[in-house]
Amino acid sequence: MGFSFLAPVFLAGVAAIAIPIIIHLTHRERKEAIAFPSLMFVRKIPYRTVRRQKIRHWLLFLMRSLAVILVVAAFARPLLDSSTQAVAAFSTARELVILLDRSHSMAYGDRWSRAVDATRRTVNGIGPDDRATLILFAERADAVSQPTADRAVLQAAIDAAELSSGVTRYGPALQLAREIVERTDRPRSEVVLISDFQKSGWDPRQAVRLPEGAEFTIVNLSDAEAANLAVIDAAVLRTRSGGRESAIISARFINSSGMALEDVRASLIIDGQAVQEQAVNVEAGGSASLQFAPVVVPGRPVRGVVRAGDDALSGDNSFHFVIEPEQPIRVLIVEPRAAGPDHSLFLRRALSIGSRPGFEVEVRRVTRLGPGDVDGRSVVILNDAPFPDGEAGRRLRALVEDGGGLLVALGRRNPPGVWPEGSTALLPASFGGPVERASGGGGTLSYLDYDHPVFNLFRTPRSGDFSAARFFRYRMMQSGEGSRELARFDDGDAALVEGRLGAGAVLVWASDFENFWNDLAVQPVFLPFTHEIVKHLAGYREPDSWMAVGQVVDLSLVPELAADELPEDAELLVAGPTGGNTVISPAEDSWYVRLDEPGFYEVGLAGDGDDRSAVLAANLDPVESDLTALDPEEMVGAVVARTEAGAAAAPIITLSAEDLERRQALWWYLLAGAAVLLLAETLISNRVTRATN
Amino acid sequence: MFGRTDRYYVKEFEADTNANFLVVLDISRSMDYASEGISKLDYARYLAACMSHFSRQQRDRVGIVTIAEDIVDFVPPSAKHLDMVLHVIDRLEPGGQGSLSVPLLKIAEATHRRSIIAVISDLYDDPENVLRAVSILKNKGNDVLVFQILDPAEINFPFDQAAHFEDLESGERIPVVPERQREQYRELMNNHLSELSRLLIENRIDYFLFDTSKPLDHALFSYLSRREKAGRLR
Repeated sequence: MGFSFLAPVFLAGVAAIAIPIIIHLTHRERKEAIAFPSLMFVRKIPYRTVRRQKIRHWLLFLMRSLAVILVVAAFARPLLDSSTQAVAAFSTARELVILLDRSHSMAYGDRWSRAVDATRRTVNGIGPDDRATLILFAERADAVSQPTADRAVLQAAIDAAELSSGVTRYGPALQLAREIVERTDRPRSEVVLISDFQKSGWDPRQAVRLPEGAEFTIVNLSDAEAANLAVIDAAVLRTRSGGRESAIISARFINSSGMALEDVRASLIIDGQAVQEQAVNVEAGGSASLQFAPVVVPGRPVRGVVRAGDDALSGDNSFHFVIEPEQPIRVLIVEPRAAGPDHSLFLRRALSIGSRPGFEVEVRRVTRLGPGDVDGRSVVILNDAPFPDGEAGRRLRALVEDGGGLLVALGRRNPPGVWPEGSTALLPASFGGPVERASGGGGTLSYLDYDHPVFNLFRTPRSGDFSAARFFRYRMMQSGEGSRELARFDDGDAALVEGRLGAGAVLVWASDFENFWNDLAVQPVFLPFTHEIVKHLAGYREPDSWMAVGQVVDLSLVPELAADELPEDAELLVAGPTGGNTVISPAEDSWYVRLDEPGFYEVGLAGDGDDRSAVLAANLDPVESDLTALDPEEMVGAVVARTEAGAAAAPIITLSAEDLERRQALWWYLLAGAAVLLLAETLISNRVTRATN
Repeated sequence: MFGRTDRYYVKEFEADTNANFLVVLDISRSMDYASEGISKLDYARYLAACMSHFSRQQRDRVGIVTIAEDIVDFVPPSAKHLDMVLHVIDRLEPGGQGSLSVPLLKIAEATHRRSIIAVISDLYDDPENVLRAVSILKNKGNDVLVFQILDPAEINFPFDQAAHFEDLESGERIPVVPERQREQYRELMNNHLSELSRLLIENRIDYFLFDTSKPLDHALFSYLSRREKAGRLR
């Protein structure tokens, strides 16, 4: 119960009370002299010493002071506490659910402090029989207090509430509120939503309708004009020149304000030092891109930040990313004994081109293949060569079983008879003699498994034409159990079959890569096809230079941590951008960490002796940078249950402080009181003056 | 009559004689004061003009003397001087400090016929001094009338704002707090007026106080009525 003021700064005007005090205490002397016929009866008396000592008319003084206070209070726009009003209006007990938006957009200007104030006012207004629950929400909703009538508990929950870096999602919060309202035993229920009503967080299809009779109150904290510049992306383009790897950073900006931003300084910060700065112009409501000059990438992860703008929502003025040094895929091409010098020409040429990732290719004859040649490879290609025998063969099998990849091309020099005994069993398909398709222009590939990573790249139209390749010969293959045919010829024979061997994968290609049994090697799709095969066999994942806040990261997939080599009792220490540490215990199968705030996360092994570490960059979801506000009535219409007649079942009271103050209009009564006081003061002072005269 | 009739007779008759009527008008700067409406000097002008006109109507000789600390203008009483008297009244300008002693002494020396002398002033002087000055005229057989002209502000002292008050005649400035001094002022003024009235009446000198806030005809009528009653008593 109590007053609050919308414009408390005007209360400083109470100092104006000093004016009547000064008037009372100091009788100001007229500047001009009064002419008088004779001063023979007027004695000389110094008057100031007498006049300033006391207030003569206390009633007049009090009336003037009170009038000043009333006028000042009127300008401060007083309002009775909204919840107090509600309590006065309804005496029955109610279930109150307060939904407090703590998404990142609430960090704009003073929205969060206003939201906390509104929450406190609401909590202060709960009656002795009421029960309230505080729910904080962003992309998910958490009830931070159980339903309680204890204001202290609720106030403590409000004190502990903090802004998050998450995006706005109204659905989970409304769903949770509905569950609480449905369970309540109170005769009345009310849901108060305190938010900036960000449009991006509202999906009408996921609207949750409150139970019939439940009141829905909104506190709208959106700003009429919300200006915001955000850096929403920083793409890293790698180049290699003169043996040195460089990266070109391209940043993208959006301007969600109604005013064009010109000559905004955008800076590129590498490892904490600003290395470049450029100006960027962004149209009102538009976007713009900016490319920085290449920066040299050292042989270690580099932390980069693109920063631009200085507005009321500072969290999205910076974009964080990590530039990892290039990690090429090591490929071994094994050729048959009688191979010519250009036997693997097309494969070598194709794999020599590529930067994301790069390929490190070595070629060996199968007869000269030593055990050490297989070690450290990610992928081995038996290019028309049989499976090596002896120690090299065992090492190759072990490589595949440990997660490596094997590609077998079955050309003219690779009949089943040349394979060591039992080695063909490692393949996902059995194969036999060649199929002649020279007559009629050759066969073609008629089926491709576009759902497989090898062909996924060619899924969309005009993204690669395999039908142009002509196959004049290929070996008949019979897919084995557990294998998967990824491609077939037009006669139904298998062209590419995949199988698993331990943790690794084996692909068998029914023809060659020599431009002899087929002309695939001279088709445009050959290069991406071979790249995709090798990347798939190597289990390559393009490293993410940044991730989104709210994303859950599987640390076992972070290459730098080499999860499979960690000791059993190892613990991972995750240091957040603001210094908070989290300990992850892989031994308990908890490899996951959630990125809750923008910035750099540093992951390392707890304890000494192992310097394995990784850096992860997290950024706000660009959706949260769009501050366009939703029309609250749209949400009210979707959330509030309606009666059969179509009218809203529950009264909708907008508890916006401005609206409440406007509706109460207490200032009018205060000004009227001040006017009455001043009128009475005038009458009384005239009467006093006349009596004195 | 006794020689012819050897009887005594008393012969009674009435005769009108032409008297001199002289207005003595104080034009010191203190007379040029008006809190509102008409100033004391203008009020005195009308009074002097009216009385001169009335006197001339009954064929008296009229004259005027304007005084400040000394005589300023002097128009001796004459049957033909009414126009000059009115001209002097119209043209006179306030100035100088008020004093009755010197001018009235000079007037007494200058007048040889018994006259009706009307002294019009605000009488800002000690009552004894006023009586002393007026008595010179009275003692020479003149019928002396004293008209005191005061502004209501001089009587009530209604000011409410502290200020410097400036004496119109001397230019002296005094800081004054009217609220604090009002009662004292009124008491002093009342004492002054009472003393003047008492002294002049005791010496058979007609005294009348005119307040400039009251209409001149009303004040004049009151005075003439009282004068008529007093004449009957004599």
